[in-house]
Amino acid sequence: MSEHTRSTLLECRDVSVGYEAPVVTDVELRVQRGEILALLGGSGSGKSTLLRAFTGLLPPLSGEIRLFGKSLYDLPHDERMRLLHRTGTAFQQDALFSGMTVAENVALPLRELTRLPRAVIREMVEVRLSAVGLAGYGKRAPASLSGGQRKRVALARASIMDPELLFIDEPSAGLDPIVAATIDETLIGFREALGITMIVVTHELESIRAIADRAVMLGRGKVIAEGTIDELSQSREDIVYHFFHRVAEGSPAAPSVR
Amino acid sequence: MPGPIAAIEQQAGATVVRLQGDLTVRSAGALHRQLRALGRRRDLGRVVVDFAGAERIDSAGMAAVSLARRRLEQRRVPFEVTALDEAHRAVLAQIERAAAAAPPGEVAPPGALERIGERVLDAAAGVRAFIGLMGETVRQTLAVATRRAKLPAGSVARQIAEMGADGVPIIALLSCMLGLTVGFQAVLQLQRFGAGVFVADTIGLSMVRELAPLMSAIILTGRTGAAIAAELGTMRVRSEIDALSAMGISPVRFLVVPRLLAITVAGPALALFSMAVGIAGGMLIAQAVLDLGPVSFFARVTERVTMGDFLHGMSKSFVFSWIVGFSGAHLGMRAGDDASSVGAAATKTVVTGVSLIIVVDAIFATVSSLGKHYT
Repeated sequence: MSEHTRSTLLECRDVSVGYEAPVVTDVELRVQRGEILALLGGSGSGKSTLLRAFTGLLPPLSGEIRLFGKSLYDLPHDERMRLLHRTGTAFQQDALFSGMTVAENVALPLRELTRLPRAVIREMVEVRLSAVGLAGYGKRAPASLSGGQRKRVALARASIMDPELLFIDEPSAGLDPIVAATIDETLIGFREALGITMIVVTHELESIRAIADRAVMLGRGKVIAEGTIDELSQSREDIVYHFFHRVAEGSPAAPSVR
Repeated sequence: MPGPIAAIEQQAGATVVRLQGDLTVRSAGALHRQLRALGRRRDLGRVVVDFAGAERIDSAGMAAVSLARRRLEQRRVPFEVTALDEAHRAVLAQIERAAAAAPPGEVAPPGALERIGERVLDAAAGVRAFIGLMGETVRQTLAVATRRAKLPAGSVARQIAEMGADGVPIIALLSCMLGLTVGFQAVLQLQRFGAGVFVADTIGLSMVRELAPLMSAIILTGRTGAAIAAELGTMRVRSEIDALSAMGISPVRFLVVPRLLAITVAGPALALFSMAVGIAGGMLIAQAVLDLGPVSFFARVTERVTMGDFLHGMSKSFVFSWIVGFSGAHLGMRAGDDASSVGAAATKTVVTGVSLIIVVDAIFATVSSLGKHYT
């Protein structure tokens, strides 16, 4: 697979997404294998909507989304499912199945999509749970865990199939800084140990600086900036400047001279 | 309760409202009523609100003042405030900022035609989704049957236990009561013609052909249909269904197929059980009122009720079970994103389920009587 090392895993061509009216339009985007891309933007800027489109849940209003080189929404249902098996998604709400234990939740993709023997599955789940710092929590019910622990279970479930591409919606929103840092470390560990490419929706500045190689920023229904974190934090574009310097809306514009 | 908060005086060409004391959430109502009464007067030239005597003022007090101002300005009555101190100004500034930020105008509510159109489009989308769900269910069931896909381990058995076994006590109770009631009514009528012994025929036929399938299906709707809708609706709200789709696991195969397979077994099983218990109930009445023993009662029943009658009842029960299963699954999967939509989905399932069951029952009765014997 060496020819794939710098290949494009996800590509957006002139994509508009939304429900009835478009939320974000004209999205041009490329995600290369091995990178961690942060999808930034204020609340309601369409980050999560765009992510839904990437994960096969919401056909774009126009344009084309290509996943692993294939047009996601032009594929027949079964082939689209097979493509999605190569990705993992951690939702903003953890979306754990409340009727199952933690271990059953994490094991679900393996049990449903592979024919691995139970013992192997159990072993994989145990390893993955300890990778996210939750060794020994397998028998617990999701409802008995804290918010941060549930997010980590969701990450374990999303990554259990060793996906090539992992989508993560707000991994550390609403968590205390220590737990947030733990989650950031988990993500970095995933990339280093498993070579997983990631698209992370977030608006936590600390996380972005800690994990992301590159960021795309949404605002006013468009992509307003794209680049490395350093490039973006030096940007003079109003919204980007306000975002990276925590300035309130309606405040004076970014200084035009450095 | 505070009395008038403001003294109202007429001065050369102006009405002066002198505020007094605290204007807080306790007194704002009274102030509002006073100002509103003032605003109704026809002879207003200019209104000045004097804050000199006012002490503490909170958002409620200032809202009363700002409401009065807005109403007067609409009537083109000049309005002023004077003698505000620092604190008054700060509260007023908050309210003015909100007024400035308010959207210019509201979107007009849709007219009657537009609403009808929306309803029609909604209904059409619902029907399309329903047909889609049935198609996908059949497709996934075939995939499972041909071993191209598998069901979650143990799911069907667990569902059958929940839908069927757990429903046995209530079905037993209600079917027995039904058998007793119908039996008693029949005996009363038939005895007048000296034909009391025909109670066995009446009970046997009505339970097997009509009452048992109908009664068990209605209970199935209330217990199981509502439960399916509520479970799937909650999973929708908690994005569990999205999570399945994103994992590339078909939610229909994972959630709907096991429930439909289970209800296909549990529904007719409950109907069969209901037939037996209902007939037993009638037997009790025959014994008590007519002194007709169980053996001769049962002999009459088996003589009168044919295999055709039994199959008629059972095939209805299959159709009813699918109605319940599909309505619950469809409405649950289409629930909205909030808690109230889960309740709405469960309620709708019961209403739709029961209505459809009764309509389909009527169709069965008509077709079978047109077909041939309904003696």
